[in-house]
Amino acid sequence: MVLVELGRKITTALRSLGSATVINDEILQVVIQEICKALLEADVNVRLVKRLRDNVRLALERDDAGGVNKRRTIQTAVFRELCSLLDPGVPAWEPRKNKHNVIMFVGLQGSGKTTTCTKLARYYQRKGWKCALVCADTFRAGAYDQLQQNAMKAHIPFYGRYTEMDPVVIASEGVDTFKKEGFEIIIVDTSGRHKQEESLFEEMLQVANATNPDNIIYVMDATIGQACEAQAKAFKGKVDVASVIVTKLDGHAKGGGALSAVAATHSPITFIGTGEHQDDLEQFKTRAFVSKLLGMGDIEGLMDK
Amino acid sequence: FMSMLGGLTGSKPVGKDRLIPVLEAVKEHLITKNVAAEIAENLCASVGEQVEGRTLSTFTTVRSVVQQSLRDSLSQILMPRRNINVLREIITKRKTVAKPYVITFCGVNGVGKSTSLAKVCFWLLENDFRVLIAACDTFRSGAIEQLLTHTKCLQSLYPGKEGSQRVTLYSNKTNKDASSVATEGILIGIRDGYDVIMVDTAGRMQDNQPLMQALGKLIHRNTPDLVLFVGEALVGNEGVDQLQKFNQSLIDYSFAYGDSVKSSLIDGILLTKFDTIDDKVGAAISMTYATGHPIIFVGTGQMYTDLKSFSPESVMNALLK
Ligand SMILES: Nc1nc2c(ncn2[C@@H]2O[C@H](COP(=O)(O)OP(=O)(O)OP(=O)(O)O)[C@@H](O)[C@H]2O)c(=O)[nH]1
Ligand SMILES: Nc1nc2c(ncn2[C@@H]2O[C@H](COP(=O)(O)OP(=O)(O)OP(=O)(O)O)[C@@H](O)[C@H]2O)c(=O)[nH]1
Ligand SMILES: [Mg+2]
Ligand SMILES: [Mg+2]
Repeated sequence: MVLVELGRKITTALRSLGSATVINDEILQVVIQEICKALLEADVNVRLVKRLRDNVRLALERDDAGGVNKRRTIQTAVFRELCSLLDPGVPAWEPRKNKHNVIMFVGLQGSGKTTTCTKLARYYQRKGWKCALVCADTFRAGAYDQLQQNAMKAHIPFYGRYTEMDPVVIASEGVDTFKKEGFEIIIVDTSGRHKQEESLFEEMLQVANATNPDNIIYVMDATIGQACEAQAKAFKGKVDVASVIVTKLDGHAKGGGALSAVAATHSPITFIGTGEHQDDLEQFKTRAFVSKLLGMGDIEGLMDK
Repeated sequence: FMSMLGGLTGSKPVGKDRLIPVLEAVKEHLITKNVAAEIAENLCASVGEQVEGRTLSTFTTVRSVVQQSLRDSLSQILMPRRNINVLREIITKRKTVAKPYVITFCGVNGVGKSTSLAKVCFWLLENDFRVLIAACDTFRSGAIEQLLTHTKCLQSLYPGKEGSQRVTLYSNKTNKDASSVATEGILIGIRDGYDVIMVDTAGRMQDNQPLMQALGKLIHRNTPDLVLFVGEALVGNEGVDQLQKFNQSLIDYSFAYGDSVKSSLIDGILLTKFDTIDDKVGAAISMTYATGHPIIFVGTGQMYTDLKSFSPESVMNALLK
């Protein structure tokens, strides 16, 4: 699953420290290099990897004690750096009862927004929330039908208009309608966009202004490479992204781009998409995940020494 | 001073000590540009082999020699080994067997298959061909409606004569078997004398065995003239695996059914979303390096006209910048 391969490679590298009889500079450099290689192969942003490497080296330099202690220092430093990468230090957004919670989806083209909208609505619906979907994508061919068919399959009320071309109009109409009808969770799907097209970003801002969302979710594809950071940063710079959902983690993807997106948006990953079907959505608890990846296993054991 | 100058201009053969830091920097640069880590490493290793031990002429630096050697390697990777002239192939097929030329689009989810299909269709219409689109994504909601919208749009841009459209859509909502929908579409295309048939397929993950087999079946049964793998320029280390596994499943499937191997391989790549990556063009290198497949088209936006032929030079320049 997500980032396991990365976790395994890092643990292996660290374990090699445990089995080495002498710990000299050379071994330490090799371990650091192995860890960085694993991160780069998992699509973590190059700059973040460099920062991690420098911080770990710095920690080692500061610590002038010999052998055994160095081992401990490097383990602690790697642990700390990875935690700070994955954990933005802000709590995940939670919907509030007896209130209209408006959620707006944004992201690059084809990242999985429309599919994930319905998945999320279903998730909350199963938990007893009254949910509705609004299609504010007037650009992509077939966008209306896609969300409408998904909503119908999931028995979730849907708002959209074939003839209106302005997403701002549809979004505010849809949200208002569902608010009046007493819906608790109203999810707004928007078109895919990218930072290079300023007019599309402006449109996103207008939809956000018109619907005043409580939670803006940045949906990203797990396979994205080094372009991830700049795009995620730009979305965050334009609208107030509060959560990240990483999709398509059912594939082979190493998902390191997700770490970079967390760093760029300072927003936690709240869910992950693990398939094309409506129930393929899993909750993601950053803290639990970090400790599972790095804590519960070998590292914690090593760190306790 | 003399020794410093010696280091700079290289009166002695280039040794590992001087080479390694330069190669490390190059590798990192390539990864920053989104070249897959392993491929950046392989590239640098081969550049290292070429440069190591060479005696440099006066005023040449290790860096510049490495740059030149890298440029050569990259251009070799990017230059297509096989030239595919789609327009000519269509005409040839029509002249020789009087049958439509069949193009299939495949790839993982959301990369831009259907949109690219519409763009290529626009280009074919511009070149006076008649096109039938076969809607063979029988899975995703709205997939048929998406193509129908494009078809209507293209029809209004290129209206046909009385009763005969220049572009039409074939779909069959009651048939969930993509391969047989393709077969139905192709039969109609032959009957009605279309020049080209474009087959859209559902996105699928390269590790999803049942879906990969279904694609193998579609290609095996319908033997398209051109199989395009659609990938997005945004993809990171994963891109290579996608392309290799798609190709491999097609090979495996045709092997199991005793096809001649050529009849069902990926012929080329269509790389989309070039407009979203700035100068991080590394996916183009990763994909061509790993498989040798040529990049036939590049997608640079969401409009019909945002389809370009691939320019190795501009990719190389962006990479080396
Ligand atoms: N395998 C897999 N496929 C997914 C997942 N999430 C979405 N998809 C697929 O990805 C493709 C694109 O999804 P969409 O929901 O249409 O993406 P989008 O962001 O709304 O796209 P635009 O509106 O065009 O920007 C579809 O084929 C989905 O079925 C996932 O978690 N796993
Ligand atoms: N910016 C940009 N967007 C593109 C490009 N090509 C496709 N897109 C967008 O990417 C999104 C997904 O495109 P589709 O054509 O639906 O992708 P697909 O591969 O058919 O998706 P599935 O059938 O769901 O697997 C749409 O929003 C397209 O407009 C491109 O070259 N540049
Ligand atoms: Mg959508
Ligand atoms: Mg499609």
